[in-house]
Amino acid sequence: MSEPLDLSLREQAAAIAAGEIDAAELLEAALARIEDRNPAINAVVETFPEHSREMLAAAPAGPLHGVPVVVKDEWPLPWRAQRFGAADMLAQTAPGESGPYRALRDAGAVVVGVGNMHELGSGSTGNVSVYGPARNPWNPERCPGGSSSGPAAAVAARLVAGAVGADGVGSIRYPATYCGLTGLKPTFGRSAMEGHHMAGVSTTIVSGPLCADAGDCRLLGSVLYGEELRAGEVSGLRIGVIENEVSEDVALPVREACEKAIEDLRAATDGDVRKIELPELAAATLATVLIANSESLGSVTPERLNSLDPELSPLGRGLLKYRLMLPAAATVKAHQVRTLARQRLAGVFAEVDVIAWPTVPAVAPPLEAPLVELPSGTLTADAANVRGGALANLTGIPAISVPVGSCEGLPVGLQLQAAWGRDELLLDAAEALEGANGRRWVEAAPPAAAKSGA
Amino acid sequence: MEASGTADDFIPAALAAFGVEADEIELAVMRAAHEVFWPPILELLSLDTGGVAPEPAPDLSQAPPRR
Repeated sequence: MSEPLDLSLREQAAAIAAGEIDAAELLEAALARIEDRNPAINAVVETFPEHSREMLAAAPAGPLHGVPVVVKDEWPLPWRAQRFGAADMLAQTAPGESGPYRALRDAGAVVVGVGNMHELGSGSTGNVSVYGPARNPWNPERCPGGSSSGPAAAVAARLVAGAVGADGVGSIRYPATYCGLTGLKPTFGRSAMEGHHMAGVSTTIVSGPLCADAGDCRLLGSVLYGEELRAGEVSGLRIGVIENEVSEDVALPVREACEKAIEDLRAATDGDVRKIELPELAAATLATVLIANSESLGSVTPERLNSLDPELSPLGRGLLKYRLMLPAAATVKAHQVRTLARQRLAGVFAEVDVIAWPTVPAVAPPLEAPLVELPSGTLTADAANVRGGALANLTGIPAISVPVGSCEGLPVGLQLQAAWGRDELLLDAAEALEGANGRRWVEAAPPAAAKSGA
Repeated sequence: MEASGTADDFIPAALAAFGVEADEIELAVMRAAHEVFWPPILELLSLDTGGVAPEPAPDLSQAPPRR
């Protein structure tokens, strides 16, 4: 048998259930591997071996019995409040049972560590955090993606086989792409959200799985959803593609890899590719940012802004203060753009089953200067990435990022989006794509995962 | 006018109106944010969305109701 930690999430679960792996040994191996590999990538910001061992001792028989997982620093645990990657997150937090924690516990999983994240969830790169930046296991000088940077880097480096992230504006899909993983952003409201400091306020954030492949996302996703995400056959898949900057202002190798993947998916499902139009897309991107930022203003007051923790990054402090200046009229219009975009998508999804475009337009940029070179020129990675990531959060539809290629030794991801509630179709389509390319990209391992050691 | 031009007036004035203090680094961050966000905000504000049928309290877990 392979090193147990290198098995997939579902293989670990099955092997424990069959008595082929001892769960206690797996937990200790995970802790040892974190100690060995994590210093190079800063993916896991805290472990708590005694709590993890207690969790295992009390773990019920369930679909993830005894399987170690990492949870993003956005979810409280009974023994630890979330810090949101920040020295000061403004909101009041306390230790507690978040929805994802309960779902994992009830499934028998063991939380082995907390994953790093981009400060305040406000970036797509993961290079800013109170814990220091997480690093990309494919190249530690490159961004791991954000804001779920640590969960993605932890899975890519095979510290664990599955991690729970959160996606408010692409925050599962960006790091999934940069780290060569599969990341699922559920339909709004389908996955566990209780206990999040924005639960009941945010209309964009969802919890979701980051794993090596779609099968593992199906397993971990089923736990987070509280219902089985059943597998099905995909046939005659109608794939919608768009001709605008989200698919065209893209670095050439990324564009070529995604176009090949779309053709592979079409052929594998005996489907067809259709052009679609989303004229609201550019406005939808800004609308998502405005809505997401305005929803977090509840705990922002001038007095509070004048007493921010000095350890909060200058970037975080400046952006928090700038949020106060966003015009209400623009936010009102943003909600109207949301309505238009939802109506447009409802029409589009009568014609196609999935919409496909590159998850992000360029591979992971350098940590020190997260800029990307696109046909239109040099952009910040945040400005470029949000173009393709925001629509699903604005409208509530599910989306998945699937690894489909490599450029400069860094992964490339294709995003598939489907109609509300068709999360299972995305997993089915992702598995069809994996089959079409011989699972080449989901089984690729970064250098950080190939090192010998624990 | 370029966003960078309006930032020099708008940001200090807004901060003063809100009674929020900022150091030079924070001001630089805000100016950079303004240059990114303000042009598309102006584009958004120029859209006439008065004819958009409202979807009050949209259920984001589902498609919008048919009209």
